[in-house]
Amino acid sequence: MMSDRQIIELCAKHDRKAQQVLYDKYSRLLFGVCLRYATDKAEAEDILQDSFLKIFHNIKDFTGSGSFIGWLRKVAVNTAITHYHKNLKYRYHVDIEEYVSVETGITSFEEDYFTSDELYKVLNELPTGYRMVFNLYAVEGYKHKEIAEMLGIDTNTSKSQYSRAKAVIRYKLEKLGKLKSSYSENG
Amino acid sequence: MKTKRQNINLRELFRNKLEDAEIIPDAAVKSILMRRVGRKEFMRFNPSRLNVYYIGGIVITGITATVMLFSGSHNSYQLNPLNTPGNLNKTDTSRYIEVPVVEPVRKKPGSSTVFHSESKKSIEVSTLPEKSESEASKVVVSHQDSTPLPTGINNSYSKNGLFAESTPDKKKLQSGFNQETFLIDPYDTVGCAPLKVRFHFKPTSCDSCRWTFGDGGYSNKKDPEWIFDVEGEYRVVLEVYCPDRKSLSSSATVTVHPRPQAHFEIASEKSVNPNDEIRFLNYSTNALHFKWDFGDGSTSEEFEPSHVYAKYSNCNIRLAVLSDLGCSDSAIVYNALSGLQYFISFPNAFIPNTQGPSGGYYSSKSDEAALVFHPSYSGVSEYQLKIFSKLGIQIFESNDINLGWDGYNNGQLCEPGVYIWKVRGKFRNGEPFIKVGDVTLLKN
Repeated sequence: MMSDRQIIELCAKHDRKAQQVLYDKYSRLLFGVCLRYATDKAEAEDILQDSFLKIFHNIKDFTGSGSFIGWLRKVAVNTAITHYHKNLKYRYHVDIEEYVSVETGITSFEEDYFTSDELYKVLNELPTGYRMVFNLYAVEGYKHKEIAEMLGIDTNTSKSQYSRAKAVIRYKLEKLGKLKSSYSENG
Repeated sequence: MKTKRQNINLRELFRNKLEDAEIIPDAAVKSILMRRVGRKEFMRFNPSRLNVYYIGGIVITGITATVMLFSGSHNSYQLNPLNTPGNLNKTDTSRYIEVPVVEPVRKKPGSSTVFHSESKKSIEVSTLPEKSESEASKVVVSHQDSTPLPTGINNSYSKNGLFAESTPDKKKLQSGFNQETFLIDPYDTVGCAPLKVRFHFKPTSCDSCRWTFGDGGYSNKKDPEWIFDVEGEYRVVLEVYCPDRKSLSSSATVTVHPRPQAHFEIASEKSVNPNDEIRFLNYSTNALHFKWDFGDGSTSEEFEPSHVYAKYSNCNIRLAVLSDLGCSDSAIVYNALSGLQYFISFPNAFIPNTQGPSGGYYSSKSDEAALVFHPSYSGVSEYQLKIFSKLGIQIFESNDINLGWDGYNNGQLCEPGVYIWKVRGKFRNGEPFIKVGDVTLLKN
């Protein structure tokens, strides 16, 4: 088993074998990232492929300072943002005002109540703009100002989209939660 | 019941669950990715791996080798200018003439077979109306010191209209090559200087050629355009270099006739009397026939005509000349008689001299300060000017065009304000005029 350092060095020389090893080692993690930003699996796969092409091409620029995984993750996130920009004009923007008006009383959820599959599903169903902001802010931990720069939107837009995304997610999780509990009661 | 520890907010829920989530992508994703990587790698320059640059190199080498191998076996190119007397009546005459040409008859070593092939060669000849224009469109390297060919060039034609090419250049070129006799029909191109000739060279496997235009200029283009500025006879030689180390040459004669120059002057430019004859002085060179267009619808073919205009108006006088060889030129003078026009006009304001009445005499030089109200005019024979105040009282009258109004009435300077003038009279051609207007007397 090669170490990350060996893999990086060989990949920098465009070694096909090392590239495959790199893919095998990190594709699952990055696919998890890509899936969060995509509308569906096919788009996530596109983003993943583009991310790896970027990684293979730019790996010589990875200085070694900082974590390799963090770098890979950042490339994937940036690729997802590029995809978002590229596809912006093709997307059908869903009117979400109906969700926002819903009262949401519950502010916390039990962690193990939802599987990650369900969470992915909720994310994928979000309007694209909401999903980008929510992922970047909640999961990746960027600040609203940084997100605004990355997506080319206003800081306030980022903030309002985040809060709206939260409302939508809550609504969906509650619905999902009720559904699940009714299943368990019946079952 | 939910405890506080069990409850976490949305942000933490997603972060904990999904930040490091690992999902296995389809195996197809990997294979597609690897194919894309492979393609990218193929396009990237990398000396240690087979890529597009190697393949490209191999393909180019292959094509070059193939061309070199097979091109030597076909030599069917042609050159031949043809006979086109420049058409002078159209401003830009250009035409294509296709001429059947007998292809070089040559013997191959080790073979007694004589090859005959017939193909066509076309040339475009155009006569240009303007020299400046032709110079602008000159594209090939030009040598101004043109050297007309020796006049005995035509003697090399044999009686049957064919001649054998044997220039020293060609001999040098062919030494070591196959000896060949290259016969062409001696078609001539004839036109007027500056003559633009477009030569055509049918593309063949023989890929390089050189045109020598006989006036010191040359071109390596396949289809060059050449402008012969100076009259004379030029022998244009085409040499073709073939990959199989055979070289062929062919030639044609271009005859450039001198172009005449049209030039004239209007002799009696100052004449302003009606029915005066206007004479024209003809300075044209190289010309035999003349055609004058006086601009009023009448024409003349005399060398130096004189013409009586019924009315002097803006007219364009044109002279077209034709040389004995059929070359033409023309000159035109626009608004030729504008100096002969009659007019009278008045200013709309003047500032009288407050020092005292000047008497109203003026000259165009002394009256730069516009102290006297007077017209600018030409060709006036009778004249009467009257000035009226606003109340309609006549305060000035002059029957001499050289006497204007100085702004005084009975020795008193008139009030500043608007005055009315009326002028009547005749021009020298008898045409009467009456004009009325107002003029503002300004205070100094």
